[in-house]
This record gives sequence, structure tokens and C-alpha cells, in this order.
Amino acid sequence: MRLSYLASGPLVWLVTIAVTTLLLVASAKALWLVVPFLLAIILYYLMFPVVRRLVLAGVSRETAAALVAAGVALLAVGIMIPLLPWLAAQAITGEATFNRYLEGGRVLVDRTLATLESQFAFLRRMNFHAEMGKMATEFGETTVQRKLGEALLAAATWLPTVLLAPFFAFFLLRDGGVFAKLLASGVPNAFFERTIYMFDRVDSTARSYFQGLLKLTVVDTVCLGIGLLVVGVPNALVLALIAAVFQWIPVVGSVVGCVLVVLVAATEFPTNPWIVYATVGVFAFARLLDNFFFIPLTVGRSIRMHPMPTVLMVFIGGAVAGVPGLVLALPLAGVVSAVVGTVGGIIQDPRLRARHAFAKSLQRQRISADFQL
Amino acid sequence: MLGFLQRRRAEHPRIAQIRQLVLFATLRPKELRIIDGLLYERRYLKGEIVFDQGEEGQALYVIVSGRVLICRPGDPVAEVLAEIPAGSLFGELALLWGAPRVAQVRAAEDCVLAALSRADFESLIDTHAAIASKIAMQLARDLGQKLGARYLAMESRPL
Repeated sequence: MRLSYLASGPLVWLVTIAVTTLLLVASAKALWLVVPFLLAIILYYLMFPVVRRLVLAGVSRETAAALVAAGVALLAVGIMIPLLPWLAAQAITGEATFNRYLEGGRVLVDRTLATLESQFAFLRRMNFHAEMGKMATEFGETTVQRKLGEALLAAATWLPTVLLAPFFAFFLLRDGGVFAKLLASGVPNAFFERTIYMFDRVDSTARSYFQGLLKLTVVDTVCLGIGLLVVGVPNALVLALIAAVFQWIPVVGSVVGCVLVVLVAATEFPTNPWIVYATVGVFAFARLLDNFFFIPLTVGRSIRMHPMPTVLMVFIGGAVAGVPGLVLALPLAGVVSAVVGTVGGIIQDPRLRARHAFAKSLQRQRISADFQL
Repeated sequence: MLGFLQRRRAEHPRIAQIRQLVLFATLRPKELRIIDGLLYERRYLKGEIVFDQGEEGQALYVIVSGRVLICRPGDPVAEVLAEIPAGSLFGELALLWGAPRVAQVRAAEDCVLAALSRADFESLIDTHAAIASKIAMQLARDLGQKLGARYLAMESRPL
């Protein structure tokens, strides 16, 4: 019965895609604001269950939000303090470490190509090993290093604004309900119930998406971690966590995560390529589990959109706003779809519009009651 | 538990106003403050429609001031079934089982309504079960009274 509230159909799809694309283009121009806000939303949904537990225990929402935000800040400081010496050491030896792993990857590619060439005569005739090896070296020495430099520079630029994320998250936790009431107060009476339904839908879409994403990260970390431990890759759980966080970026993330772990495995076991192949196998198996079990159980149902516009939105997001666009495309499309559906429902309901017009005429009569003598 | 963290405040006039409403009459001051955070205040002009018969309901309304008419839409004029005074509630069926509105409601005079959304009531059941059960009890009493009144009216009707 609830569905009758929402407009649906190809026009709603088109408007949803158009509005989401426009928002993604705008977000690409204001990444300094979008990135901390996105992190704030993730933090908000991470902290929200704890705040709810405290409210349930009798603490006011304001105090609960302050307590949880302070707790998370202390936890972050507590984690960072022991890590600082290690991070400082990494900053000094960062380039050397990076080059070491890159070299490990190059050696792996080199050996794989040599093995392939020894197995297949047509590859030998093409001089496959030498040609591909040259391309891989060029790619590693120019493209990767340039892109990494740009990414590090961008990260350094965003770092101060990223610090805004905990503040945004705190105010969302404390005053989220107030914002909703403020917005609803500006809505005409005729559309009031539709608006509160829309708020509920937007909140449930965003909540189920981001909480699903966090659950998926935990499940992926555990599965990948166990797989990498069995294979014998060092720091398996840390690598699994990094790869699972990369999964937040649709399409590209899983490839980047896999390459990262493969580079580590190739560097740590330069003489045993089978460990590297087993690592790739673990990744492929984890992806299968993700696609068939974990994603449908976590983020799968949150967007409530047809798979076709959903996939289209991911590619549009990547094209217009890069990596942040890929991350934002799905939750943004889900939220925009709820808003467009509600507004479409109002536009398609002549009775609601007539009621609004009637309320306005009553208001006009009231205002102009003393105009006539 | 953790009661020492709760703030002590003087009762706000708005909280005192909410306490007068039948739905929230049994709530304690702390619980009233939580409810105050969930209520949407809406103002209607005399004659304005609050909701239509058959519409999908998303909220329950309590009349803070003024009166509303329960009507059955008719051509050319609507038939008035009942008049509800300040302090009373209407639209509760939408909150309880999401039923379509059984009648039209319009403002009999300028009125202020407090709306409690179904989503907020459902989250209240999870987060503040005590408050939700007190509201549910008041809702049951109100429905019982309405059913009793209807039964008496049917009995007194000549065969």
C-alpha cells in the first residue's frame, strides 16, 4: 500500500538519473566539502546505534551524542599515539617501500610473462615478454608514480577539511531530528504527510546503505583475512581490512585492493609465484561470496532501484566525479529516487494540488478580508 | 541507570501544553520532552482539509487548540459526522495498522495540531518502549471510548 505514495516509471528513472548526475557534477566541484560530509555520514551511522543504546538507558540525546563523539575521538587518539612512530618511519622510508613493492610486482609480471612465453610458441614469435615487460615498466615508472603523487597531493589538500567530518557527524547525531522538523515546517499542509514519508524513506535508504556497507566491510575483512592467513600472506588481517575499505569504491575498488595485496605477496615471496596465484584465487572466491551472498544481504536491498539505472549511475558517477563519484553514486541515487518519487507522486495527484490551492485561497481571503468597504 | 547524566530543567510552557493532551497525559516530564522532539506542529485555517477519506495515512494528530470536523465527502456538500474538541486525537488508525483514512477531516475553526508520524512512533517502540506503551494504552482507551459511544448510539437508534 505504501507504494501508492510514490510515482514510478521511466520518467521517474530519467529524472532521478538526471538529478543525481547534476548533483555528482556539483559534488565534483566541491570535493573539499563532499568528502568530509561523506565521512561524517559514515561516522554518523557507525555511532548511531551506540547513541540509541544510551538514549534507551535514559541519557538525553544531546548528552549521548556528546559522549559517543568524545569516546570516538579518544579512541582515535588512543589508536594514533602508538602508531605515530611507525607512521613517522613510514613517511621517511615511504618512497623506498613503495618502490620495493613496485619492484616485487614487476618481477612477478616478468616471471609470469617468461613462463607464458616458454609455454606458447606464438608468444615467442611476437616477442611478447620483452614488449609487455617494457610496457609494464613504463606504466610503473611513469603512470603509477605520477598518479600516486597527484593522489598524495590531493589527500594533503583535503586533510584539514577531513577533520570537519567528526564535527558534522556530532551535529547530525545531536540535531538530526531538529533539521527534519525545520524542513517540514516550510512544507504546505497539503503535502505534509507525503513529506514526512519522504524523510522516513530517505533516512531508511541512507541508513541501510551505509550500515550495510560497514557490515560488508567487517564480513569482507574476516573472509579475506582468513583466506590470506591460510595462504600465508603476512599482515593478513590489516591487508584484508585495507582491501575491504577499497570495496567501498564500486568496480575499481576491488581491483585496487587485489593489486595491493598481490604486490605485497609478490614482494614477500619473490621465489614462490604460487602464493601470489593463491592470493588472487582467495580474492576471486571472496568476490563470488560478496556478489552472491554478502552484498544482497547487506547493501543490496537498500537502494530500492531497478538494477539497470543503478549500474548506469555507478558508471556516470565515475565519469563525472571520479572516485568520490563512484562512492557517492549509489547512495545519492537511492536518496534522489525517494525524493523524485515523492515529488512525482504529488505532481500526479490533482486532489493534493487542489487542496493546496484551496488552502492558499483561504489564506488570501483571510489576508484581504478588510479590503472591501 | 545513568540517571545522573540527565539534565534537570524547569517545565517549559510547551511541555505543559503537551501534558494537557489526552494522548500524552500519562507521560512523565522527561518522557514529554522526548515526545516534544518528535511532534510536528501544524497550523490550519478554518475550512482547510487536514486529510481526505481513502488517503494513505502517515501520522496521528492531536488537537492542541481549535476544533476539527470529521466529514464524509458528499456532492455538493460534505456530511459532518462528528466534531472533535481541543485535546482529543484523530487519525490513529493510520498509526496502528496503516489503514487508509476512513473519513475526511477539516478544520472547524483556526486550529493548531500536533502530528506524530508513524515512522517516529515505530522508532519509539524500539528506543523508548515505556513511552510507546503508555501512548498505545491511551490510544486503546480512546478507541474503546469511541467504540462504546458508537455502540450506545446504535442501541438508542429506533428499529
